[in-house]
Parts: sequence; C-alpha cells; structure tokens
Amino acid sequence: MHSDLILRIAGESGEGVITIGETLCKIAAREGIHIVTFRTFPAEIKGGACMIQVRLSERRIPYHGERVDFLVCLNQEAVEENLPNLKEHGVLLCEAECELAEKNPGWTVYKVPFDRIATREIGSRISKNIVVLGTLSHLLALPKETIEKFISEKFARKGKAVLDHNLDALQRGFDFGQRHLAKKDSYRLPKGSDWKRLLMTGNEAIAAGAAAAGMKYFFGYPITPASEIMEWLAVHLPKMGGVVLQTEDEISAICSVAGASWAGGKSMTSTSGPGLSLMSETIGLLSMAEIPAVIVDSQRGGPSTGMPTKTEQSDLFLALYGSHGDAPRAVMAPTSVSDSARVTALAFAVAEKYQLPVIVLVDQALSARLETVERQIFERLPQASRVHAMPADGVPFVRYQLGESAVSPTAVPGTPGGEHMVTGMEHDERGNFACDDETHTAMTVKRFRKLAALESDPLLSEFCTRLGDEDGEIGIVTWGSSAGPVEEALGVAKAMGISAQAIIPRVLNPLPHKQLKSFFSKVKRIIVPELNFLGQFATLLRSTYRVPTISLTKIKGVPLAPSEIVEKIVEADSMLSARSKKVYGRVG
Amino acid sequence: MEELDKPCEYLSGVCPVWCPGCGYYGILSALVEAFTELNLPTKELTLISGIGCSSRLPYFVKAYGFHSIHGRGLPIAQGVKTANPHLTVVAVGGDGDGLAIGGGHLPHIARNNVDITYLLFNNAIYGMTKGQFSPTTVLYPVTKTSPFGLAGEAINPSALAIVYGASFVARGFSVKKEHLKELIIQAINHRGFSFVEVLSSCSSFNTTDMNVARIIKGLKMIPEDHNPQDALEALRLATDQKKIHLGVLVRNQRPTLEDKFQEMRHKARGKGAANLEALLAQFA
Repeated sequence: MHSDLILRIAGESGEGVITIGETLCKIAAREGIHIVTFRTFPAEIKGGACMIQVRLSERRIPYHGERVDFLVCLNQEAVEENLPNLKEHGVLLCEAECELAEKNPGWTVYKVPFDRIATREIGSRISKNIVVLGTLSHLLALPKETIEKFISEKFARKGKAVLDHNLDALQRGFDFGQRHLAKKDSYRLPKGSDWKRLLMTGNEAIAAGAAAAGMKYFFGYPITPASEIMEWLAVHLPKMGGVVLQTEDEISAICSVAGASWAGGKSMTSTSGPGLSLMSETIGLLSMAEIPAVIVDSQRGGPSTGMPTKTEQSDLFLALYGSHGDAPRAVMAPTSVSDSARVTALAFAVAEKYQLPVIVLVDQALSARLETVERQIFERLPQASRVHAMPADGVPFVRYQLGESAVSPTAVPGTPGGEHMVTGMEHDERGNFACDDETHTAMTVKRFRKLAALESDPLLSEFCTRLGDEDGEIGIVTWGSSAGPVEEALGVAKAMGISAQAIIPRVLNPLPHKQLKSFFSKVKRIIVPELNFLGQFATLLRSTYRVPTISLTKIKGVPLAPSEIVEKIVEADSMLSARSKKVYGRVG
Repeated sequence: MEELDKPCEYLSGVCPVWCPGCGYYGILSALVEAFTELNLPTKELTLISGIGCSSRLPYFVKAYGFHSIHGRGLPIAQGVKTANPHLTVVAVGGDGDGLAIGGGHLPHIARNNVDITYLLFNNAIYGMTKGQFSPTTVLYPVTKTSPFGLAGEAINPSALAIVYGASFVARGFSVKKEHLKELIIQAINHRGFSFVEVLSSCSSFNTTDMNVARIIKGLKMIPEDHNPQDALEALRLATDQKKIHLGVLVRNQRPTLEDKFQEMRHKARGKGAANLEALLAQFA
C-alpha cells in the first residue's frame, strides 16, 4: 500500500480527461486525502492534447509529483507523449488499440476498449470518460457509492436520460475491470484522514480570499489564465452585497478600482501580463495619490501575447518597477493554493493600511491547479484597515500630512470637512500641485518610508518561511509557485545526505531584509530557482544584497521539476565538497 | 449682495492657472453657480478629471477632487459612483483627453448609463502642450504637429455621445454662462449618464475653431418643442453644418448602472445565502 499516488490522465481536449481528474479529486477530497494537481491546456478552444496529473497523499504535499505511478491514456498520441514519465514500476491503463513502442518489464499494462464500450454498448461516445472512471474505481478501489453520488449531482441538471447513460457507463467500466482485469499492481487510493479541508483552484482561492477579506468592488477584463477569478466573483460577490463589472479594457478596470477605492471601498482587479502592462500607468497614479488597490497578476509565458496557456514567472520586474518615475508599491507572491487565499487577504490588509497598490503574482500553473486547503485558514486571514481622519470644521483638510508616520490619515468622499484633492501630480500636504524640489523630495521620501515601515510590520511575520536543514550550507531562495518543487527537492537532497535549506519570502517588495541577510550569512551557496529567462529574482537579490547567486531558470511553460533543483543542489554540493575535501554519503 | 457671494462657497481659493481670456473661466463660473443653485453639500461633491487645461478644474473647486491621468477620468468616476452612489459625481476633461487618448471609455460609460455628469470642454486644440491639433480641430488645420494640414476628419462630440447612447446629451457654450448653468443643473439632476459638450475658445492656441463672434453668429437655441427622445432629430441638430445648436439634444430614462447592480444583487441572493460560510461550502 502506497501512502502517495501520482496519477496522470492524458488524451485529447474534449474527451473528458479533466473531468476524470477532477472527479477523482473530489472523491479523494471527501475521503480526507491531500491533493495537488497539475494540468495542461491546449492553445486551441477545441481539440489538442491535454492532461491532468493528480497527486494523492496521506500527508500534506507541496508539489504534483514528477514521474507518475499510474498513467491513463485515452489515445495513441497520449501514450507516446506520456509513457517516458511513467515510473519503473508504474501502471499504464490505456485504450485497447494503443501500442507501446517499448515496454519496461516493471510496468503493469491494462488495456480496455473504452471507445467500443462507450459507442457500441452505451451508444454515447462522450460517456467514454465515465467508463474510464468506472474501470479506475475497480483498479484503485475507489468508493463506488461516492462516485455514483457525485455523478448524480453532476448530471442531475441534464435530465434523467443523460444521468442514466452516465451511471450505466460507470457500471460498464467497472464491470469490464472486474471481469477482465485481474489486479496485478499494488496501487490503491491512499488512506484519508479526518480534517476540515476544501478543494479549490488557485484562482478560486484568490477570489474567495478576497471576498473573505471584505473586498466589495471588482473590475476586470477577461484574460487567460486569470478569468476564473472574475468568473467566480461574478457569481458570488453580489450575494455579499458587492459588485463585479467587466470593463472595456484593463485600463478602465484599474481606473475603476482607483475610483472605488478612493471612495472608500475595498477594490480589486485581476489580470495577466498583457493587462498588467496596460495598468502600469495607473499603478503609478495609485502610488502617487496613495490609494489602496489590489492587483492580481496570473503570469503566463511572455512577452507580448506569448504563451497564454503556459506558466512562467517572468512579470517580476514589471510588478516591481512597472510605471514611470519612482513609484513604490508592494509585491507579493503566494506559493500554493492555500497560500493564495492568505496572501490575497494580506494584500488587502497592506494596501489599506499603507494606502498603496499591492500586486499579487501567481502563475498559470498555480491559478489552474486544484489543491486541498485547510478550511481554518479562512478564519485566520490577516486583517488591517485604512486610517481615517476626523477632519476639523472650518480648517482645510491636510490629506498628505508629513509627520512621524509615513501614512497620513485619509478622508473618503462624504466625510464632512474632509474635502481635498488627490492627484497624480506632485503635490503638497494639501494635495495641491507643487513642482518645487523640496516638496518632490519630501513627498517621494514619505511614499517610500511606507515600504520601510511595512518591512518590519508584524503583519508580515508569518509570510517568510524557512525550510530544510537549519545548518545547511546550500541555500535556496525562491518565490511563488516554485516553492513547491523546492520543498520537494530539499527532501530528496536530504535523503541523499546533502544538507540544504531554503527561504521563501511571500513579500518581494519590500523584501524581508533581516531574514534574508541572516539567511545569506549562514549559507555558502545561494541557488535561485524561478521560471523566467533572465533570472529576475536572482538579479533583484544580487542588486539588493550584493550576494553571488546561482540562477536556475526555466522557460518551458511548465513548473520546475524537483529533479532539476536537486541537480543544482548536487552541483553546488560537489563544489563545496571539493573545497573542503568533505565527502558526503549518497543515498538512492 | 448675499446672492452674489454665494458661489464662492464652492471655490477652493486656489487660483486658476488658465490663460487670460480662456473660455474655461466661464465654464468654472457656470459650474459653481449650478452647484449653488442645486445647494449641493461639498462633502458629497466629487470632481474627477484627466489631464489637460480643463482637467485642472478640480483644484479650483471646494469638493473632493481627483486629478488623475490622461484620458481616464471617466472610468475613475465610474468606480467612485459604484462605491458610493450617494455622491454627486462630475467628471471634466477636454477634447483630447476625452476623445483621443480616453476615447475608448466614452461608449462604455454611456452604455452602462453610469449616473454621473461629464463636461467635455471642447476647444479644438491641445492647450496644455501648447498648440497641437486635437480630434475636433477643423478650421485651424496648421498646428505645431500638422504643419501641412490635418490628416483626419474632426469628431463631433455631441453626435458621438448620441450614437453611443448617452441618456442625456446637451451642448453649451462657455460664453453663454446662464444657459450653460441651466444645462449643468439639468445634467446633474438627470438620473443616468449626462454628457455636456461645452464649446470654448482657446485664447492662446486656437481662436478660430471656437471663435466667439463666429459661434454667436451661427448659434441657434434648440427649440422647446424638440423631442429629446428623438435621437435621429438630435443627431440632425448635432451635425448641422449651417447652425450651431445649443441646448438639450437627448434626454431619456433607462436603468442606471447602480439599478443594474441592485438587480444583480437581488438575483444572486435568490441563488444562495450571503455569508462566507455558505460560499466555502461549495468547496467542501
């Protein structure tokens, strides 16, 4: 019995591949099993190869797994594409007609005429995926009643005929397995435990996290891979008294956010790289006028239209610096689905408290992946609010007061005596335009002091984590969703006898200087894995801390594999060993 | 004399930066007089602008003011009104701000019928950048960036607003202050998106297109019997080449964006409870 099962379903888009994977996830989640998934999207609307990988485990897992235990292929192309990723003792379940170019002696292969069962016996080609699910429930000992219940819920809306078709398909798939497939492998659904979990995607976690943080006004423009954030909110935010409006473009979206936020409402937009590029000018305005706003960027392959359905972490520079002039903003990056909810809530707390724009960077893989999330995180979300002034009668309101605190109390429209100007022009304390050097300097310093204050704010204390061996000489600094494969790689390295550690800041601007400096003082090598060509985060670290970094970059449109990170760790380790003539034992 | 002093309640005390002879003084004057007549509390008055000479106006008025970036006053105003429907929201901007760089927003604010008032100051020139042609320049074709004449035809702002479906469209003239004041009052009172084109001469860079003597000679007040729900007739008046028609061109009633939001909230609530607990249940 394995405590961990990595399963991949591959086929053509439109064959119901994703439905099989998601159904498995829902069933497993109800059993209390931990789940992380990864799925690819073809660039076409219909057709094209697609796959979903589902990792199921008894314990919390940071990554969807590299090579797979159990591969399900619905056509020949899927076999050819995915077979190299099957582990040595893995299982292949495929369409009966599929041929294998080579066969590893350790593999178990089950062939099932899914197509024939669906078209001839059931008379409905589109029910093929449910036949597959039936066979899987035999092979993996899935709780069949739960699947039946789930299918009933899913198809009830489509009428009795469709529901019956699908229940029939499930039974036939199961029966075929029982009759013809003697179980020859040892893979089963891992054991579950009783914990309060939710099953959601990164985009859903962001949307729900924002709603939980009290966000009321959402303006956005559809874009892959961020649209699901707006789509979820469009359904649910109005129930909570909020508003979702699809605007004519991203500029209008961020400007509407600026207006709604200035008028006092917690406001947000979500987009991907092309949209963030368009929003850059307004981000400068928000920074200059000191207006809170949360902007989520689900990164995809760039530049320009790039690779819309592929993942990348190449918008870091844009998020950090995009907009002309010196325009301070906070930048954050969650590492997982549950982290996405927490960091989104943190973004609102920081935006409101410090009156500045906050950009949250996720990426396509994180946006789309399903993961089990602890229910409790929604009860412990970070909170902070805007400081409101109590304007005195008859005295002009001083909006941008220069004082001990860099944050000046604000008055939202409607507040008596609080009438004032906000402006994208350089301005004095009253908000009137002023282009003299003293004012520009004082106000620029004021705006940047907010970041300095934020850096040591206890709000952020839980948002920088250390992983691995505290004495490890090899250090890894990473950001966003690359943290998952890093955590996995640390485990592998440890098993190999290499001592390494990692630090993962969720706030990338301002960086957690104390923690990073302390980390850099302890390690001898610094590896920076990330998904872009330039090594943007490594560049940031080098320029900020003047430390040498080993940049590990990848632009293949998919997340880093733990083995790629392990390779770098081993490389760094052998360099260190050569120096100190130290010899490490190796395992595995 | 009390009556005369009253408009000053709405002046911030910041001295306008406009050139001597600029038509915008007349518009500012009409605007604060309209505010006075409507007796709007300054705490609930918001003035939002983009970039350009006209967009400086919010500094000069006692209100909550937002001087933003080029062309983006309208979506910002949409956000303000969305977050607090009790506010009186007035957006101001010029012909370059509203029809060139920001031209993509107008149709959408109009079709959303956001309950705001938008004053488009049309002086047919870029004044703040000192004399380049704008989308409404016609009679003064040789400018700093069009030394050999204009490449494109001019846009007719009121006609555009009519075609875009603005629920209130009017045209005024900065010199006709009383008339303009009345138009602004009607625009603010109108529930929905009110578009007011204000013709105004630029004393420094283009005195030809909006030449006061020429406009006075050519203007014609829209007769009382004009049916403001007749969009085709309104379009005929707005595009008339012989006369410059001033007054209310279009006025009709339809649900505002806020009305739609209320409707959406109502429909959404019919589909489920409104707390986080219930929202998270779908992921359990």
